[in-house]
Amino acid sequence: MTVSPPYDTPAPQRTLEPDAYRARVAPAIGDAAYLASLKKVTQYYVATAFIALFIGVLLGPLQAFNYAGINVYENPILKALLKSYYQGLSLHGVLNALVFTQFFISGWLLYLPTRDMGARINMKFAWGTYIMMTAGLLIAAVPLLLNKATLLYTFYPPMEGHWAFYVGATIMVAASLLVAGQVVLTWVGWKKQNPGQVTPLVTFMSVSLWMMWLVCSLGLVAEALLVLLPWVFGLRPGVDPLIAKTLFWWTGHAIVYFWLLPAYISWYAFLPKQAGGRIVSEPLARLTFVMFLLNSTPVGIHHQYADPNISNTWKMIHMFLTFLVAIPSLLTAFSIAGSLEDAARARGGRGLFGMLTHLPWKDPVVVGQILAMVSFIGGGAGGIITASFAFSPVIHNTAWIPGHFHITVGTAVTQTFMAIAFWLVPHLTGKRLVAPKVALASMWLWFIGMMFFAVGMHWEGLLGVPRRALISAVALPIYKEGYMHSQIPMALTGISGVILLLAGLSFFYVLFATLLSPRVDDAEAATPLPYSETISPAGRSLRGASPLVRATEPLLALWVVAFALVALMYGPVLMRLTQNASLVPGCNYYTTVQSEVGCNEQR
Amino acid sequence: MTQSPFKQSPVKRLTHATMEKYENVWFGIATAMSVLLAVAVFASFVSGTVPRLEGEGGAGHHLQGVVNGRVDPRNLAGTPFSKPGVVDNADGTQTVFVVARAFAFDPGTIRVKAGVPVTFHITSGDVLHGYYVEKTNINVSVIPGQVSSFTTTFKTPGPLNIVCDEYCGTGHHNMLNKIIVEAPQP
Repeated sequence: MTVSPPYDTPAPQRTLEPDAYRARVAPAIGDAAYLASLKKVTQYYVATAFIALFIGVLLGPLQAFNYAGINVYENPILKALLKSYYQGLSLHGVLNALVFTQFFISGWLLYLPTRDMGARINMKFAWGTYIMMTAGLLIAAVPLLLNKATLLYTFYPPMEGHWAFYVGATIMVAASLLVAGQVVLTWVGWKKQNPGQVTPLVTFMSVSLWMMWLVCSLGLVAEALLVLLPWVFGLRPGVDPLIAKTLFWWTGHAIVYFWLLPAYISWYAFLPKQAGGRIVSEPLARLTFVMFLLNSTPVGIHHQYADPNISNTWKMIHMFLTFLVAIPSLLTAFSIAGSLEDAARARGGRGLFGMLTHLPWKDPVVVGQILAMVSFIGGGAGGIITASFAFSPVIHNTAWIPGHFHITVGTAVTQTFMAIAFWLVPHLTGKRLVAPKVALASMWLWFIGMMFFAVGMHWEGLLGVPRRALISAVALPIYKEGYMHSQIPMALTGISGVILLLAGLSFFYVLFATLLSPRVDDAEAATPLPYSETISPAGRSLRGASPLVRATEPLLALWVVAFALVALMYGPVLMRLTQNASLVPGCNYYTTVQSEVGCNEQR
Repeated sequence: MTQSPFKQSPVKRLTHATMEKYENVWFGIATAMSVLLAVAVFASFVSGTVPRLEGEGGAGHHLQGVVNGRVDPRNLAGTPFSKPGVVDNADGTQTVFVVARAFAFDPGTIRVKAGVPVTFHITSGDVLHGYYVEKTNINVSVIPGQVSSFTTTFKTPGPLNIVCDEYCGTGHHNMLNKIIVEAPQP
């Protein structure tokens, strides 16, 4: 357990250390070999993540062209590589949303708290989890590449993929749980060694995020171990698609916060320094992360408004909780805007908006993150619409949805990670960023491309164009007449594909050229961790800390509350579903030869 | 990039006290907005603007072979889904039974009356499908083993496209049918 503050004694005088306002300095690590190994494993995670993103991004324009009415999948060269639009889409979704995020976050959030605490972690274990995650990726990749797991990102049963896909994906998720465990245990060790101390901000955010992942990934773990694997190995006569879907969205919604919060960590802790300002409030940042720990998990049923046999009451409750998740995001918007204002004024900016010109608009690290935030304003607003039980039927499963998540995960998260790479890779390797101007251009192109895409797709969705459909190949006149008015949004989507391809190529040129360039600097000295000064710090001693800091510090207890909440919100729903389980056989309708398809009646 | 040296006289920088004041106001606005949103949706739901799915035990689930909203997709014989189509009820309302299978809905074209309550019962014979009626807010998941039921009233006569909006295989994009809403007979 954490050291609980003495609530029974009279509130102590708030006496923050005079240097609490200053930027933190990462505790020095004397052991050079250990530090090198820690940096190397992080670099491997990050590089693997971006290789996955590279392939995923190259497949993106093919999907965008489809939504512009241009079917490129009939091209003979492409046909030799990809059997169908749906295979391309499966790869695009899995590589970008699952593999890229999983690897980047596992590296980023192993490294940050470890450095922040100045901890010595077991490097053999750290390397072991990297190898395990990569092995899982490779196992899952084989059926994906062979068109044996064209199930899209959601892999809803009873559409049945090759067993290797499920096994590989399970190993990948399991590996990330080991990273989470290592970070949480390292923090528990830190607490023991530093009784009565406030957890440093970056560690606090990282640990609460990993705790959140350990709560939310339970759904996916249960789906894999209890539903999917017994089914594909023939141990069960069939699968209940609704139970599988419910478990999937238990993880599937909270996972978006698992992607987003690592970007928040950068926005809260590092962007102020990079822009020239200060962190607005450390206690507020802690509150935000605790709210996400408690509130981001028990909300997944808002993805199932359209599903039968889940009571409307539970759907309503999950909707209300979903709306509450908007609060910590709005707090973040406030806080980051404050940091940026502080930066702009410190740099000589004046006036209500005039000060904005004083931000470092030539720094790709800053520009990338600011643009990511700007696009997230639209993403967040769209998310509230999507989460609403009343609006959802209008846009559910239409092109609106990919429009929405490309300006949330595709920009807020991915673009932030890209911008982080511009300083993180030099920090890890001692290499210098190649072509900073190209890096800056890639950030603008990515943002503009995503804006085109988002407008095009949201618009198409409102006109009734479904998501995940090869609409460019529809022969029936009914479709043509239905989508006739979609020409303008379709054109926007098509243009976005071209812009995003250029953005991706320029970004990956900078990234890979940097990675392949020779080492020139002492990384620790040339690119230190960009800790920021603080306007309102949390302080270091719990005794002198504010009530908010003391209330958020016992993370282990809050974690138990998170488990209890998710059990309360999912327990009755899942109980009801398992009592009425309806097992159905698996089917395979994604291979191209029609005669091979069908449902497996034997099972 | 680090902080640039001040070019003008030192600026009055933001202080903790200022930030905290605005923070609290912002927190209040955010919370009030979230609660208001939930109340608004709840109101629209109660007022029946959205055709809501009837869960287990709801009206229409006293169908032969349907238990707790579940049906065996391998054995639709003996259930009303063995003969998909439109049924005219004695009280003037209509009931529609639809079976979705890759890559078509059965029946192909549905003819319903404008201005009368129409109850849909939809199930799937194989994988997940979607039942999205364009230009309406009818948009439900169709899941094998489960029956999706809801009641709606079409107001305007005319044809409407039905689109499968859940990925169901290589022919997913071609899974389309029509509802024709007919003007009431005088």
